[in-house]
Amino acid sequence: MKIFADSALSFISERPDATERSRAWSIFETLGLPTTSDEVWRYAPLGELDLDRFLVAPTSTKSADSQFASQLRDQAGLVVRVVDGYYEGSDSLPDGVTVETAERVSSLSGDSILARYESDTFAILNDALTPATTILRVANDVHVERPIVVLNTTSGVASFSRTQIVLGRGASATIVEYFEGGHNALVVPLSEYEVGENASLRLVTYQRLDSSAWHVARTTGFLQRDARLHQAVIGMGAHYNRSRNDAELLGAGSHNELRTTFMGSGAQVHDFRTHQFHKAPRTQSTLLSKGAVAGESRCVYTGLIEIEKGAKRTDARQTNHNLLLSPHAHADSVPNLDIRENDVMCAHASSVGPLDELQLWYLESRGVSRRDAQRLIIQGFFYEMLATLPHDLAHLVEGDVTSTLELMKVDQ
Amino acid sequence: MSTLTIEGLRVEVAGKEVLKGFDLSMQSGEVHVIMGPNGSGKSTLAHALSGRPGYKVLEGSVKIDDEEILGLSPTERARHGLFLAMQHPMEVPGVRPVDMLVAAGADAHELRERMTLEAQSVELRSDVLDRFVNVDLSGGERKRAEVVQLAILRPKFAMLDEIDSGLDVDALGAVARRLSRATSEWNCGVLAITHFRRLLQELTPTKIHVVTEGRVVATGGPELADDLERDGYEPFRPANS
Repeated sequence: MKIFADSALSFISERPDATERSRAWSIFETLGLPTTSDEVWRYAPLGELDLDRFLVAPTSTKSADSQFASQLRDQAGLVVRVVDGYYEGSDSLPDGVTVETAERVSSLSGDSILARYESDTFAILNDALTPATTILRVANDVHVERPIVVLNTTSGVASFSRTQIVLGRGASATIVEYFEGGHNALVVPLSEYEVGENASLRLVTYQRLDSSAWHVARTTGFLQRDARLHQAVIGMGAHYNRSRNDAELLGAGSHNELRTTFMGSGAQVHDFRTHQFHKAPRTQSTLLSKGAVAGESRCVYTGLIEIEKGAKRTDARQTNHNLLLSPHAHADSVPNLDIRENDVMCAHASSVGPLDELQLWYLESRGVSRRDAQRLIIQGFFYEMLATLPHDLAHLVEGDVTSTLELMKVDQ
Repeated sequence: MSTLTIEGLRVEVAGKEVLKGFDLSMQSGEVHVIMGPNGSGKSTLAHALSGRPGYKVLEGSVKIDDEEILGLSPTERARHGLFLAMQHPMEVPGVRPVDMLVAAGADAHELRERMTLEAQSVELRSDVLDRFVNVDLSGGERKRAEVVQLAILRPKFAMLDEIDSGLDVDALGAVARRLSRATSEWNCGVLAITHFRRLLQELTPTKIHVVTEGRVVATGGPELADDLERDGYEPFRPANS
């Protein structure tokens, strides 16, 4: 029996836009799942992925929030709740903020979802199988003081959440997209962000799924003139953690800062891909990816900076540092540049290596135990990633990093 | 009262034997000074005693009281009361001195206040203590920060590897006075490696040891420093070397 396909077709037949969804589904059937011979997926353990382990959720199954989620909720000015991809409502909204759902939307690029993501199997699945798109808007010139938390929880199903965040001209907000749950689940979120002229979006994507989950996420930011998108992506959970984070710098003077962080243990695979696409003059992107892999975990960072002809005085920087905490862990770094304009500034730096023996010895020579020395240095390694988060959130994440480190065996 | 005893220590670094039978014994509260030409093995001694990676002990013994420490990890050696103030302290980005000292076993109670007082005593700006360990510190600030750590951790024996380099005259005086005070305050034994007599003006040595080619070739009182100042190390070099 084809559990996944049957549940998907049954889900689709119940939706008002079943015709469009069926079209996406048939494209998925034609494409099939990618294989590792496809460059874009070469590091994914796709051989282990059996879609028939997953049922497409016909409704949402609520569960109690983790302690972490409750703490996050306490800090939030607004909580938008999404369960198994289904929008479940929100608190009362601050002035100038609206939340709605729509069965069928276009990409914020203006294209249809299918056209925009035509070669991405998982995005096409999301097009066919998302319950609805949750759309969060901040009106022009509205400054939202307290963080907005989009709280995504997943039960043991295939879930396809879709989120669009739109900041109007001159608006500013801090938004946390948070994911938890997902025991034996397939979690395929597709998010888009439109940052209007001179608007500022501080975005934190925190993935804290169960270590059995498959997480295949994709985000794209669209930046208008002088817009600022500061995005932090933190991946702690999942068995396979795929995170593709793109930005299109469409307006002159727009600025994208992206920091991706992960901590791998057991047999986890962290697979980060980025694409910074500079289409206008004086645009800036700063990309910092830092992670640690322990046990038999693996990570890969594949980053592309693309600069269009005419995007003069663009400044693009990519930095990638990985810590190897075990001889069986593995890290790859694959930077790429595609530059079609001469008047630009581009820089790239990367490093992969174990903890510094002399730093460890320095701490040990003060009387710090080996284990504490490792913990302190690893925490220090992550410090610069946490330093830019909103203070209260940084505190929460730091506690999470510390408790993960306590469970993590450093084999060095 | 404790004793530090180094006997017949032979140490190899990068395939080369640097210490070739080093002997030294000292008691709590004493100040011993090691002087010697470049490359004679002074820093190797300090690093080998602290268990620096890459320093291979070929033979010999180092005891604190009756306990052999050469088989112990660097952490255990420190916890047995040995401290090394390094010539080139490492930068440890992202780690704060306070967190390091607490992990090292310092009493967390009023730690920051005690660090501030210790910083004042060696003329170190106290905001430096909030920076990550040795990151963005000048050479002189690093040396003073090492002495702050020493004073917080209160070791039985403190080794100081060229604590005087990078310090101006005033700072050196302050450091020497702080160390001198340590010898009475908690009966700290001080083993100072130096090229210069100036450190000894306010830190009176119990004994001076002259080291050439990996072993102690002469031991004497403070007057030995005057001989070295006048004649250099040449009279102490083994013949035909």
